[in-house]
Amino acid sequence: MTAFRPFTWVGSTLAIALVFAFFTSTQETPADFRYVNSSGVHTLDPARMSWSQDFRVALNIWEGLTTSDPRTTQAQAGAAMFPPQLSSDQLTYTFTIREDARWSNGDPVLASDYIRGWRRGMEPGTGTDYTFLFTDNVAGASEYVHWRQRATGALTAMDRLRHGWDIDEQAALSLSRHPIFHDIQPHLPPSFFTDFDRDQGVALAKQLSASTLDWGDLYQRTFDQHVAKMDQRFSTVGLEAADDKTLVVRLLRPCPYFLDLTSFPSFLPCHASVELLRESVAGLTPEGLVVYDPQWTKPGCRKNGYPGLITNGPYYVSDWKFKRRLRMSANPFHRAFDTISSRTIDMLVYENTSVALMAYEAGEVDFLPGMDVPYDHEIAKLAQTGQRPDFHICKTFATYFMSFNCIDKRIEDRPNPFIDARVRRAFALAVDKNAIVNAVLQRGDLVAHTFIPPDALQGYHSSSGIQMDVAKAKQLLDEAGYPDGNNLPAVTLLYVPSDERVCQALARMWETNLGATVELRCQETKSFAEDKANHRFMIARGNWYGDYYDPTTFLDCFNTGNGNNDSGYSNEAYDKLLNRARNTANTTQRLSLLAQAERIIVEKDFPIIPLLHYSSPIAIKPYVSGLYPNPRLRFPFRYVSVDR
Amino acid sequence: MQSGAADNLVHTRQSRWSRFRANRLAMVSLFVFASVLLIVLTTLPWTTRWYNIQSLDSAVRAAPMISPVVTFEAYGVALNPSEVSGWPKLSRLMWQTTSWMGHDDLGRSLFHRILPATLLSLIIGGCAAFIAVVVGSTWGAAAALLGGRADAVMMRMVDVLYSLPYILMVILMKVAITRPLTSLLDGHAMLAQLIILIVAIGGVSWLTLARVVRGQVLSLRTQPFVEAARANGAGVFYLLRRHILPNVAGPIVIYATLVIPQAILQESFLSFLGIGVQQPIPSLGRLAADGVEAVNAFVGFWWLIAYPCGALVVTLIALNFIGDGLRDAIDPKSAQETLL
Amino acid sequence: MIRHLTRRLTWAMVTLIAVYVITFFMVVMVPGQPFQQSDRNMPIEVERALRAQYSMDNNWLYFWEFLGGAVKLDFGPSFTYNDWTCTQIVAHALPISATIGILAILFAVLVGVPLGVISASRRNTWLDVSIVSGVLIGISLPTFVTGAALLAVFTVAWPILPIGGWGTLQHLPLPVITLSLPFIAYICRLTRMAMLDALSSDYIRTAIAKGVSPHDVLWTHALKVAFLPVLSYVGPATAQAVTGSFVVEKVFGVPGMGQHFVNAALNADAGLIMSTVLVFSVSLISLNFVIDVLYAWLDPRIIMAY
Repeated sequence: MTAFRPFTWVGSTLAIALVFAFFTSTQETPADFRYVNSSGVHTLDPARMSWSQDFRVALNIWEGLTTSDPRTTQAQAGAAMFPPQLSSDQLTYTFTIREDARWSNGDPVLASDYIRGWRRGMEPGTGTDYTFLFTDNVAGASEYVHWRQRATGALTAMDRLRHGWDIDEQAALSLSRHPIFHDIQPHLPPSFFTDFDRDQGVALAKQLSASTLDWGDLYQRTFDQHVAKMDQRFSTVGLEAADDKTLVVRLLRPCPYFLDLTSFPSFLPCHASVELLRESVAGLTPEGLVVYDPQWTKPGCRKNGYPGLITNGPYYVSDWKFKRRLRMSANPFHRAFDTISSRTIDMLVYENTSVALMAYEAGEVDFLPGMDVPYDHEIAKLAQTGQRPDFHICKTFATYFMSFNCIDKRIEDRPNPFIDARVRRAFALAVDKNAIVNAVLQRGDLVAHTFIPPDALQGYHSSSGIQMDVAKAKQLLDEAGYPDGNNLPAVTLLYVPSDERVCQALARMWETNLGATVELRCQETKSFAEDKANHRFMIARGNWYGDYYDPTTFLDCFNTGNGNNDSGYSNEAYDKLLNRARNTANTTQRLSLLAQAERIIVEKDFPIIPLLHYSSPIAIKPYVSGLYPNPRLRFPFRYVSVDR
Repeated sequence: MQSGAADNLVHTRQSRWSRFRANRLAMVSLFVFASVLLIVLTTLPWTTRWYNIQSLDSAVRAAPMISPVVTFEAYGVALNPSEVSGWPKLSRLMWQTTSWMGHDDLGRSLFHRILPATLLSLIIGGCAAFIAVVVGSTWGAAAALLGGRADAVMMRMVDVLYSLPYILMVILMKVAITRPLTSLLDGHAMLAQLIILIVAIGGVSWLTLARVVRGQVLSLRTQPFVEAARANGAGVFYLLRRHILPNVAGPIVIYATLVIPQAILQESFLSFLGIGVQQPIPSLGRLAADGVEAVNAFVGFWWLIAYPCGALVVTLIALNFIGDGLRDAIDPKSAQETLL
Repeated sequence: MIRHLTRRLTWAMVTLIAVYVITFFMVVMVPGQPFQQSDRNMPIEVERALRAQYSMDNNWLYFWEFLGGAVKLDFGPSFTYNDWTCTQIVAHALPISATIGILAILFAVLVGVPLGVISASRRNTWLDVSIVSGVLIGISLPTFVTGAALLAVFTVAWPILPIGGWGTLQHLPLPVITLSLPFIAYICRLTRMAMLDALSSDYIRTAIAKGVSPHDVLWTHALKVAFLPVLSYVGPATAQAVTGSFVVEKVFGVPGMGQHFVNAALNADAGLIMSTVLVFSVSLISLNFVIDVLYAWLDPRIIMAY
């Protein structure tokens, strides 16, 4: 006893003292307004964001040329005069930035800040998911981005070669698409000239890996040329700072929703100080990427004389504790500073949404922008029956669906029946969507018969889609050569853990209604994404959130060759309709063309089975005003006032 | 810990059993466990067909009731007399139990899910324990018998594996191997997942046993009766078969009974992470994890958590008591090593 | 003594390197594209370039670069949380987990050891049986169930503690107790068995014969020996507790290390996987080392056994 008693006592006193010291040093005063972002913020870099919880913070700390109305989320005035000048051909917007637009350190907001921000959104390396918003709309952006991507591919390949490492066919293909290949080609056997298929790519990769060319020199030449040309190439993109406060944007084609886009996070500005954290030689990494130190989004980052994150929105980030709390404080240089009633805002992180809800019930939190709890059906009931007036249901601009693999003939050595549109249709007809929405999920989602949420877009009339019809489904399956599900190979259904309930119900429906054998495959998000992108699935879950108020935000997904067309669907008629709509200036005509295109998907070809349009329950304490449920779940906090 | 292995020679088998029988808790547990196993196995013909019968109307999350909420027709397929080979009465009886434990969020009978779930959990536990025993005792005995450098290297490998955070390793293993194994098994994803689960759990449980067995064998090697046999010119295999294996069997059996409940718990933990057994096949851990998710401050779906957890606790406690009883009976002295 | 310790230290280093190598191979084997954040696909050229930028296109180079960084405590960027380096993430999460873990282990020892002693001294009485059964129930319930039950009782049914999160002293009891339950059970069982062993040994009989009071025999003479196996269990257990428990953190919304063990693996976040593994292994190995030293100090015969 004598031996270990001192241990226990000294140890425990020490530990308790430590704990006290730890907590007394971290006592925090609560903010004026507190809300929960379930999994925290992935990134505060607007160019890299893809998650709505990140968007929510970004749109409060930065201000785009336009912003969105807190009630309707329609575009309204932002950092620029509203509305901006639009040329008569509807191709040139001239934004005039307000004189009183200022950054959180007092600097005036300049047109060049927007160009910097937008350029980060396009550049390979800084821009990620939403580069297409620029390439689809801004004149010259597509050419610039592809020029940059090609160079990146070639530089990456040559960088390997100059280190004496082998390259694979993908790298060889990238290299062959770059102009420098003209210098390389003469040193290769003459068979390699034009487009390659995979086998030739492999052969080319071998040739290149084995060749004795001076890759160091070739690489350096390409790199220098590329760097020298970059700014000149970028000037061909339709972005121009006419003077400090005037930004002229030239569009590729008329874009009726462009002012909506400019309120999107990818179109936010970027303060000049960020350039201090550019990590690269001559502006680029050896692979040709533009890369910044990811620490630039930290308020406390002081590397290279960087002053910490500077933003131009109604708030600035005053403190950010990883996975715990992000505090925003009102920006004293913002023109609306005097009207902002909630001076400090805490974004709290509760990984467990149930805990978040309990914290809300206990009054520790004022607002839950999502209640994705396992018992959300009870929340929905409470909201719908009016028992809890502080629970609101937002009909979101989003669709949940199952997508079919439409192109691969064989998957895992099994024939894929879904290359036949009749089978897809049969599977779609055999799904009882009402049961899924009303019995399985019970959260008050909207049953989806179309891809685009109906009545979400003014002037756009969705088709009616199809209704459940098991007899018809059986007949179609019969026609396709699978009477009563005979000969039908075991069908795999790929999904992520959150789809567990829906997918089990779907599997059962197909098994009982069609006699199919369904193999469920629940996968972790990352391997799911990889399998889906590589077409290793027959049926896979999918969802799509509309990014801007136009049908194309949904319909472009099924364009042949679109990067998000995971089902590999391709229909010439569909592509043509989209293309025609793109070049149609008349709104009514344009929308009707798009509606025709949608009809092809949801009534004829069925690359997907739309299941439901999400309803997202949110909770707002009754003493909070200025927050409005809206389909895009955008919540500008500058209008929020709390009266406890 | 130097324990006298000579104390527990083979001929004490009789007294071991009487010692075990004297342990009332262990006997009760043995009885409980045997009856659980019996019920689960005899109902298998029905539960394998019925565990996934969904009823997406009245039965969704219906509370426990004595008379079934679900119609006879929903179960019609299985009640076809020709299919249940002339046992319609028993089928009827089974169907009566449908709503005893309530229904889950897809209107499935919790009772019909808990029964096969218990079996699956036991299978996972048993197989994992088997792997742990085979690998662990072979490794430990080999290290002890080879001795010297080989022993040092083998035990260092155990040390290294001990130093890895096991949950992360299990997930990595699962993520990394699922696809290749699935294609190896002709696309039988469920089987592949089950195998990976068992191997992953078993793969982390053998380390302790390897240490225990090595210790036992090392101390046995210096025992007079072993040395006498060796002096008489007995070969390694003879020694193993005649003297060493019978004497280390005790700790191995004890350890195996303790690994089964641990493995079942590991599986429940993996299910909680959403990477356990592939649905719709139920395991106790999966049902318990689902039940915990359903618990909330607004409506209490108590049956979704109470019954699976009840089944889990009963099974695990029974196994643990049996293990404890065995340990006390077989080898009261060197027992604590198996716990480490 | 010194020689013994240097040898252990060398072995610790070798173990650590082996752990790194094994983890690295696991990480390389894991499928999944770390840079893609959402469902939308990334242009292949950019994906390749990013891979090359982080040297992930050349495993050998990546191996050495990560090792070089890790030695300087720089674990590189996290691909799940773009704005944070792995070092920052660990620095944020580890103190939180360590606080909970150390308290949980202390609590477990302070509760588990006396329980074990009492249960051994009253062998086969109702007290012993109820302690043993209670302990078994403790082992048989998954942590996520006990945690949820505690949460329901102390925050909803009888709201005396905050729901979850981190920052005040009131946030501590529930996670600490939940985390300590299995440890209590284990320590109690270990103590009980070791005590039974000790109580039947010769020197205890001698002590009793010499007229030492039963209380002293139990709590001083016997426990001193019986504490050794507990001590060797506490080492690895502390390492496990200190690096966080996914379940406890998930149930109580604590921003600790445990979640990263799971999420890093699920997100194929190479840097974060390796940093969490290394943090775990280093704490385990160093705690084992400390226990070794303690052991040698408590019971000098141990060294002879090596």
